[in-house]
Amino acid sequence: MALAHVVVAPLVITLVTAILTLLTRRYGRLQRAISLLGIGGYVLAVGAIASRVFSIGVLTGASGETTTLTYQLSDWGAPFGISLVADALSAFMLVLAAIVSVAALVFSARYVTEYGQRVAYHSLFHFMLTGVTGAFLTGDIFNLFVWFEVMLMPSYVLVVFYGRSEHTRAALQYTVLNLLGSALMLVSIGGLYATTGTLNMADMSRRLTHASQYGIDPAPVLGLSAILLAVFALKAGIVPFQFWVPAAYKAAPAPISAMLAGVTKKVGVYAIVRLVFTVLGGASLDSALGLGLSGSAFSDFLGPVLFIMAVGSIFVGGLGAVSRNDLDGVLAYSSIGQVGFIVLAIALAAGTEGPIRTVSLIAVLVYSLNHAIAKSLLFLISGVIQESVGSTRFSAVGGLASRRPILAGSFFLGALAMIGIPPLTGFFGKLLVFDSAGQALEAGVPFAELALGAALLGAILTIIYMSRAWSQVFWGSQTEPVAHAYRPTSLVAIVAGFSLLVVVLGVGFDPVYRVAETAAHAAIDHAGYVDAVGPEVGQ
Amino acid sequence: MIETLLSASGGATSGGEPQIILAVVLGLLFALGTFLILRRDVVRVVWGVSIISQAANVYLVTMGGLRGSVPIVSHGGGGHGTPTDPLVQALVLTAIVIGFGTTAFALVLTLRVYEEHGTIDLSEVSE
Repeated sequence: MALAHVVVAPLVITLVTAILTLLTRRYGRLQRAISLLGIGGYVLAVGAIASRVFSIGVLTGASGETTTLTYQLSDWGAPFGISLVADALSAFMLVLAAIVSVAALVFSARYVTEYGQRVAYHSLFHFMLTGVTGAFLTGDIFNLFVWFEVMLMPSYVLVVFYGRSEHTRAALQYTVLNLLGSALMLVSIGGLYATTGTLNMADMSRRLTHASQYGIDPAPVLGLSAILLAVFALKAGIVPFQFWVPAAYKAAPAPISAMLAGVTKKVGVYAIVRLVFTVLGGASLDSALGLGLSGSAFSDFLGPVLFIMAVGSIFVGGLGAVSRNDLDGVLAYSSIGQVGFIVLAIALAAGTEGPIRTVSLIAVLVYSLNHAIAKSLLFLISGVIQESVGSTRFSAVGGLASRRPILAGSFFLGALAMIGIPPLTGFFGKLLVFDSAGQALEAGVPFAELALGAALLGAILTIIYMSRAWSQVFWGSQTEPVAHAYRPTSLVAIVAGFSLLVVVLGVGFDPVYRVAETAAHAAIDHAGYVDAVGPEVGQ
Repeated sequence: MIETLLSASGGATSGGEPQIILAVVLGLLFALGTFLILRRDVVRVVWGVSIISQAANVYLVTMGGLRGSVPIVSHGGGGHGTPTDPLVQALVLTAIVIGFGTTAFALVLTLRVYEEHGTIDLSEVSE
């Protein structure tokens, strides 16, 4: 009985921690201890979910069996109550969130030390994590909106955290855009409810699979889900909704930039995957829509849209990163480009079927994991440089490699992981993206050569801007601020420990791959998702 | 305003009519919100955003249908006729609370923008 509650445990733990850190805001040490204890409990809860979802057989490769845990809040049955669903995909994303948030929070405990900043920081961090966790776990589309808001509200405050002129400007832009996004999401949800008659994702998936049986006209559903897709794309920060990203990431404190790039962007990615493959997985129109597109499944229409967004993101992000003059700017633009790679794989998965779709989704998940870890590592390093040198501008920083060899080593690992050098995690992410594009090309999928070309150019751009950042910041002659920089030993130790993870996950990649594979299967298997949630009552 | 329009059109019993009026009102609200968002004055932008999110709320209620004529829980003596879908109204309550919080934050942020930049003209703020 108690075991059934494990699904809701991470939510309750972060929420309670957030409230406790708010209550203990006057007692700095106690607050920090509670905050760190809370994240420890969060990791345990996520671990408990993951260990029940993925059996030992998944890790060793003996079997691909996974369990889908469902939890009906207050025991209200599926289509009427709010369901929490932890399937392999959700569990994978939760583990990703847990890894990044531990690193970011431990770093913050040393980084955010001024009294005025400490007061609200920890509770905001945990509230944001609550929103992220809820978004990964919920099986209800309106509830997803609520968790998005829970995630966004603390993030507005965290973007404006330092409160100077450039931060208020970035936060204004970020807030207004996301408020508009929320209104659009509400419009889309209202429309989906009116057309399908349900808000439960599993129930919606089932009804859309047998649309005529439930008297649903699929055409408006396609349009409404495209609005939803645009909102998710805004959260994921992909072209043409990328313009808030650089300013917001530069304004936020370094560990929050790490969280925004590593975790909340992945919420957008997760939501796109969940929408396209689980909720709309079985949906199709009565006839082809035209517009030069073939096929009648929803993914045949949403796939090309995602494809254009992905290619645009890879180029805008890559070219933007090459032309920046500060480390934060390079990293922010880079994360637009890297999420472009992830969305490219989603587009390939949407445009294909069978094994190629599976490979593409594995690519999505592995690349997300790599980007989450490597990019948040790089943002944390940028934070260390900001703290120790006082700036991340290329003109002010130079020759750090000889002064801070360990920091330089960590950056080197992170940069190599972004570029995709074996045996780091980034290599496998890139490899899988290229593999799925190659397989799509072989199968004669239209525009597959374009996908391959975009991925190749994107990879080259990644090499260019990462090596440029490396040579500007760590090589060259020492600048005046670097020569007088102090030594933030504990911050460097945290970053160095985190950077080892890139190596460990890359060297021991086999279990990671298998877990991603089961998660990809779970994303595609919309019928299994419906069965697990079990919305009993029909029309 | 919407309530008076509704009663002027014969209340909620007449089926499709209030929905048409609401559709027109929604169009106007979204247009007004969009117009305000495109202004240079930060305060107007915030008003625009909150009008759009309120319009989304009205849209949500409209999407649930307004055909019902009896309350969902009937006290004494069975109800004659069908109730309006109460779910969307519960959703809207949630959305209103969220919208209230975010509008308050956006207004405070506007104040901070004014304090930091000395102006609420967006073209000067973005310099």
